[in-house]
Amino acid sequence: MRIGQNPAKSIDHVPQPSRVSAAIVTYIPFLSGYYTHSLEVLKACLNSLLENTGTPYDLLVFDNASCPEVRSYLAEAHQQKRIQYLVLSDKNVGKGGAWNFIFQAAPGEFIAYADSDIRFYPGWLERSLEILEAYPLAGMVTARPMRTPEAFYTSTLEWAHHQTGVSAEQGVFIPWEVYRQHVLSLGTSEEQAREWYDSRRDWRLTHQGVTALIGAAHFQFTVRKSIIQEFLPFEMDRPMGQVRTLDEQINQSGYLRLTTCEPLVIHMGNQLTVEGIPQPAPGAVRKRLVDAVPIRKSLLWLYDAIFRLYHQ
Amino acid sequence: MRTGKNPAKDGLPAYAPQRLGIALIVYIPFTQGYFEHSLQILQYQVASLRASTSEPFDLLVFDNGSCPEVVSTLKSLHDQKIIDWLILSGHNMGKAGAWNWIFAAMPNELICYADSDVLFRPGWLEASQQVLEAFPQAGMVGAQPSFYDVMKGEGTAHQALYSDNRYQAGDYHPDTDIIDEYVLGIGATDELAAQFYQAALPALTHRQSGVQAVLGASHMQFMLPRQVARQLVPLPATRGLLRAETMSLDYKIDQLGYLHLSTTRPYVFHMGNSINERLLGEVAAMTGKAAVGTQARSQTSKPRRASALERWLRALAKRPRTQKLLVRAYNLLFRALYAEILDK
Repeated sequence: MRIGQNPAKSIDHVPQPSRVSAAIVTYIPFLSGYYTHSLEVLKACLNSLLENTGTPYDLLVFDNASCPEVRSYLAEAHQQKRIQYLVLSDKNVGKGGAWNFIFQAAPGEFIAYADSDIRFYPGWLERSLEILEAYPLAGMVTARPMRTPEAFYTSTLEWAHHQTGVSAEQGVFIPWEVYRQHVLSLGTSEEQAREWYDSRRDWRLTHQGVTALIGAAHFQFTVRKSIIQEFLPFEMDRPMGQVRTLDEQINQSGYLRLTTCEPLVIHMGNQLTVEGIPQPAPGAVRKRLVDAVPIRKSLLWLYDAIFRLYHQ
Repeated sequence: MRTGKNPAKDGLPAYAPQRLGIALIVYIPFTQGYFEHSLQILQYQVASLRASTSEPFDLLVFDNGSCPEVVSTLKSLHDQKIIDWLILSGHNMGKAGAWNWIFAAMPNELICYADSDVLFRPGWLEASQQVLEAFPQAGMVGAQPSFYDVMKGEGTAHQALYSDNRYQAGDYHPDTDIIDEYVLGIGATDELAAQFYQAALPALTHRQSGVQAVLGASHMQFMLPRQVARQLVPLPATRGLLRAETMSLDYKIDQLGYLHLSTTRPYVFHMGNSINERLLGEVAAMTGKAAVGTQARSQTSKPRRASALERWLRALAKRPRTQKLLVRAYNLLFRALYAEILDK
């Protein structure tokens, strides 16, 4: 039975959520192999976010069943009040499951989502919000210029061509170094990056005095909560690899996919070495036995099989 | 930069939530005075849930800014896989604020909410489901007869059933032991208790199934379908525990045409903030000899049955020595596959 009055009844004010909820999903099941440096990368991600975000925000981290070391780090950051809301999931509910949770629960009017391997630079949130406010139909704004398949931005282009007061220019607006840095961070070769860069052009839009490039990607984006909620729940039955659905849905629904003109975030991947990306010079890699296709395939199969056994 | 392939991208299925999700809000700012026994009571509650719930469920605990000792215990319960989803809020966002998270985000088809001082008894789920099935318009079903009209006569959604031939309205007279327990649970004064013993409770019966339900439900514990929960948020949340804010839940439910109902028998008990012999006896009887709050749940969420070889390999992989070997092999492969990049 209850004895006395619950002191919670005397709390006459609770902090109200910020206008922006920054949300990060983490999944680092162990600290070896692919994930050897992932905790350091996560620390760099959170530190850069905390240091380089001028606009008030609440930070929500959804941990999708990481290993104890990562959970401890997050719990400590929560205790130090660096993370306002920490969600610890005992099982990996997939990126879709985590997104469903975040985009429904995060209390902000805007949600700034990022994978846990993103480094933030000053102005990333302010510029993203500026674009979102100048382009009311903006569905996703990524704080880094990039080129994405045209199929993902047909609605943006159509809007730009038909909307009065919008200037749309085609040309090369992303410097090679900016493009190269991102594409190589995904593990693409220098030659491939160059080929892609030379074969495509960018679209630059100006509306209400604010300039943005056409693009956007699901690894980092800011979105209005009211817009992203139209696409929930996401049906994704795997931990990763089905996230392009969001890019498609945003475009199909007539919303704009935009990026800032400057690189204000960077994808770190699973290594901290971002700038001066280490890539083998052409022809410098010794032709090794493991590069033979059947051997490499077999080794990759074994590598994945061990991951499954170890992880499950 | 990314080196190698992220193993998570390949084939592993994501966890599919259970049909039933149970959510608790915890707020224990310190462990003295009013809250002296609160952490222990929460552990009794979790143990009673595990012991008396007849189907697998996901347990979500929303910590609304409790003290470090409580947060540490919750993290330990999460590490032991007793809590499936643990949400830690840096500050108290109010009961309605926490509801906003729970009702907006819980992925389960059926959501049961409870304060962190409620004891669950066997049959609570079945009885609540019976009411939900007999009354498809139910928006909130409590597993204890409601003795209060929370809407104070302002509710209208139930009136439609008075002219519906499938249902019969009438009075329900709870047994004295039910009233005794309710009076004990809320710590009612003699004067208030006298009212409960005298008044009958308004009830509805579904003629075909014979299922009877009491009109009204309490905020202390209730079950609701996910599609109802999603329509209720956001609720206003400016205070820690303001009746006007928690009541906004009731108004929304009623405005949407959903019913507040409760079972005729008490399948839950309000433990409050005190422990007595009676409670300890019931907890011990329900949970057996096992230490309260430390029974890890069984893993019931794998839909696909693994082959014998897979099961054997998994069992083998759990042995520390094998695990060590596997990790070594994994790291060796990683280095072999991505050597040219790693060595740079």
